[in-house]
Amino acid sequence: MILSCHELGWRVRNRAIVNDVSLSLRPGEKLGLIGPNGSGKSTLLHMLAGIQKPSRGRVELDGAPLAKMRQRDIAQRLALVEQHADTADRITVRHAVELGRTPWLSALRGWSHQDDAIVTQALADVDLSGFGDRHWHTLSGGEQQRVHIARALAQRPQVLLLDEPTNHLDIRHQLSILELIQRLPTTAIIALHDLNQATLCDRICVLENGTLRAIGTPSEIMNEPLLREVFGVCGHFLVDPADNAQVIRFHTATH
Amino acid sequence: MTAIDRPVMRRPQWHWWVIIPPALLAALLFGAAIGEVSIPPQVVLKVLANKVLNAGYAVDKIDEGIVWNYRMARAVVAMCCGAGLALSGVVLQALLRNALADPYLLGISAGASTGAVAVTILGLGGGAISLSIGAFSGALVAFAFVAVLAQAAGGGVGLRAAGVIVLAGIAGSQMFNALTALMITKSANAEQARAIMFWLLGNMSGVRWPDVFSALPAAMIGLLACLWHARALDAFTFGSDSAASLGIPVRRVQLLLIGTAALVTAVMVSVVGAIGFVGLVIPHAMRIVVGHRHAILVPASALAGAVFLVFADVISRVIVPGQVLPIGVVTALVGAPVFALILIGKRTSP
Repeated sequence: MILSCHELGWRVRNRAIVNDVSLSLRPGEKLGLIGPNGSGKSTLLHMLAGIQKPSRGRVELDGAPLAKMRQRDIAQRLALVEQHADTADRITVRHAVELGRTPWLSALRGWSHQDDAIVTQALADVDLSGFGDRHWHTLSGGEQQRVHIARALAQRPQVLLLDEPTNHLDIRHQLSILELIQRLPTTAIIALHDLNQATLCDRICVLENGTLRAIGTPSEIMNEPLLREVFGVCGHFLVDPADNAQVIRFHTATH
Repeated sequence: MTAIDRPVMRRPQWHWWVIIPPALLAALLFGAAIGEVSIPPQVVLKVLANKVLNAGYAVDKIDEGIVWNYRMARAVVAMCCGAGLALSGVVLQALLRNALADPYLLGISAGASTGAVAVTILGLGGGAISLSIGAFSGALVAFAFVAVLAQAAGGGVGLRAAGVIVLAGIAGSQMFNALTALMITKSANAEQARAIMFWLLGNMSGVRWPDVFSALPAAMIGLLACLWHARALDAFTFGSDSAASLGIPVRRVQLLLIGTAALVTAVMVSVVGAIGFVGLVIPHAMRIVVGHRHAILVPASALAGAVFLVFADVISRVIVPGQVLPIGVVTALVGAPVFALILIGKRTSP
């Protein structure tokens, strides 16, 4: 149990955005977080990252309550890739990724060759090796998203929280980012909209109106009633003859 | 691809510490040498040596008086103010993620003018309070008002919080400006109104050595706070949520740095009035010149602000013979074209 939350809730103006969510991650697992728009995925990730204070319940990282930890100690173990982080500053890609080393540096511990090596590796991991000197605002949306992921990797976290990391990416980079995340030894929660991509995760957690609807392996929980009730669509489960993997085909729910 | 093909560079800023003292000294000599009576630089150096090192050179007493008591004090205060205002601008622009943020955004100049007017025109304190103390108190009251308003509006975290602070600052500035206008129209005669107007645009003619003892510590505190938090300021590049996920205690850093910026600005305004433009434009100009890393941007902005304000002060003394222009007029008149040139130069360079 590396990261867990208990009866976590967040209310704003008497409306529950996240309500009574309890879950715990197993070391090394990739947990897919799915749910329709407005189901509380981002808020849940922000609370798990210690950025949003929950109105009730608690989050624990390595058994210690997150609320009592220093932000810096949290950032050394846990990194968050946000959805729409942008800047007007004229910074280079490398500078943006170097920010990921912030929790490891201090007034006494300055920048070192090791930090440079970690940044170079993070850029290579997201396939941006030649982009170091490019300016942020010259990048496409997908390239910017990969820079954000590289920054999170440069934090060298044990837990990675990703809020729709494949948004804005072309299909090749969607697959390569998901493969990269699968390959990493870190534990990860990945909020996703593509339900077929979510089935590649070890477990899936389904949020509906801020409450935890289901959690389990893809084969346990992905079924027609769930798709109809939570997402309002019909799903047909097909088998890819190439590798016998299950694929879902969607139709609008008309009846 | 794990080859480490780049040496560790850019980070050691030792060369800044080699550039800064000579640049400041040059500005100091320039500020002390030029004026209605021109004094040769070697005389200025001798006076400096006499006063600082007890060197005992023979110097004309009148020259020595002009250089030391009048121009040198003025140049040192100008440096402190320039550095302090530029640093406040750097901090507020970085933390509020707003390119238009400047040191007076938090209602400080408006509050200072209200305080100054209350002392000079309404006679608050019965003569026991100086204009400076009145202005300083007014600035702090206005900042407290803005801070409480921002807190009560409950910005939470992130961009919304920054927006709430900006709006609270505008509301506070408008209110204190209105109070100032009310007092002037109700009670001031034309002469007083003109004097206040002049003071509001920045006025260094009354500056003497005792002012250095408030301006210098304020500038140093601002500089140290910014250097200490240089990495934290960098971490706000993608907003405060991103800073938090990089391990920055966002609330504490914002409170400490915005509070320091407010205090530094309040001290500067109480000494020389509300000199505009420096805090807004010097940080932008320096970002274009040295980049966005605060470990470099902070010393560069402090230096540029210091040197720029000394030059602006010299120009304000000599541009109209026999008359001293408000320095705020000069900073805008000189600074705006210079900034325009930097902007254009940046666009045409690759």
